Amino acid sequence: MNQAEPHTLVDSRGSACPGPITDLARAYRRSKIGDVIELWATDQGVKSDVRAWAAKTKNELVSLDDQGDKVVAVLRILNR
Amino acid sequence: MHRVLIIGGGTGGTMLANVLDKRRFEVTVLSASPDHVFQPELLYIAFANAKPNIARSERSLLGRGVRFLQGSATHVDLRNRVVTTSSGTRLTYDAVVLATGIGTDPSQTPGLAQINDTVGDYHTNVSQAQKLWRSLDAFAGGTIALGQAAPVCKCPPSPVEGMLLADRLLRRRGLREKSKLVFFTPYPRAYPAEATNDVVAAQFERCGIETRTFFDVDRIDATARSIVSIEGETISYDLPIVIPPFVGADIAYEPPECADADRFVIVDKETLQVKGFESAFAIGDGASVPTSKAGVGAHLEAQVVARRLGGFSVIFDGRTNCPLDLADGRGVFVVGSFEAPVQKYRPSRISRIMKSMMSKIYWMSLRGTLDPIFRLYFAITKPPKPAR
Repeated sequence: MNQAEPHTLVDSRGSACPGPITDLARAYRRSKIGDVIELWATDQGVKSDVRAWAAKTKNELVSLDDQGDKVVAVLRILNR
Repeated sequence: MHRVLIIGGGTGGTMLANVLDKRRFEVTVLSASPDHVFQPELLYIAFANAKPNIARSERSLLGRGVRFLQGSATHVDLRNRVVTTSSGTRLTYDAVVLATGIGTDPSQTPGLAQINDTVGDYHTNVSQAQKLWRSLDAFAGGTIALGQAAPVCKCPPSPVEGMLLADRLLRRRGLREKSKLVFFTPYPRAYPAEATNDVVAAQFERCGIETRTFFDVDRIDATARSIVSIEGETISYDLPIVIPPFVGADIAYEPPECADADRFVIVDKETLQVKGFESAFAIGDGASVPTSKAGVGAHLEAQVVARRLGGFSVIFDGRTNCPLDLADGRGVFVVGSFEAPVQKYRPSRISRIMKSMMSKIYWMSLRGTLDPIFRLYFAITKPPKPAR
């Protein structure tokens, strides 16, 4: 990834309620087109939520991986 | 004597002040308001015309040996351990606990201040909640659109509860047939935690409430009478009930980076210490802990800080325990922790009764006298850690 891009790390590990999608939505509100948001979470449910979120908000899900004890989602903001 | 300065006289600050050992600590509570409000009742003032006397004097809630100062902290200098108030008073300390809470900030959403000024809301104060009741009382049918304007909401069950209580009110008044109820949320479902959403979604379906998910509010267009999302979608309304964005206390910190863009104080989620400052803590809604902004967090975090100040290395486990009123005589608890996702609980009458009981025992619980009972309750209901 091009590190020159604005890159926001959102560490949502341990968040059960209201959950990682709250933290993603917070970062999204502050983002600009072209920004990259990297979301860390421990709740496996985040995978389907992030896919649905990206599809609905028309933003790009660059990657979604299990990395050891966390799920890492990288999103590029294309629309807002 | 070790001087502990607690900024904020809400649930967390009051409990902490009361449970600290006064033989070891000289405890001061600095609070902007002389009153302490039982905030969960705002919901029932707004949607059920409940009695508005939900405040007591903060002084009367603090035990003997706690010094109470009324005043607003404007500067918190963690490097030099000095807190300055709006009247220019300078307070020094050995340990500081930021229990400053969060408040509503409708100015973040264009158009929102204007409609909330007219319609009211149920997260700001008693007079706003009473205003919302008057708006609902005068409602004769049409579309009610209810939801949160920003991703963070004080008391995450409250948007759903407000919608269900509005439905109940309209049914009782014979207006439900003439009304459409639309619930909007930035989350993938009506309630963000999936286990609880199973219950909420079923109840919404039973009540005929429409849910608009992934709806991030951008602005309110009062002329077109619609709520507009970041993606440009709209929801038309006759009565808009919009929960405003929330922000932390208006305090200038040194160093400034100890608070985030929403002015939530950045702490370690387990030790509750402000990064880089062993003797500075933040608890309750105003702390950036990844859990629900709710009384239970403030309560349990106050216990953790009390024990840490006492020399024990306990940590906060992120426990939530939020009752959600389904508005049909039943309730359901939202229980999770940092290690355990929100548990699947069945709705029940007993859960609703427990929610009512909390409003009765709240004032006593601030004293810390009920802690043995709470400890037992939290131990019995501790959510299991999932197997990996």
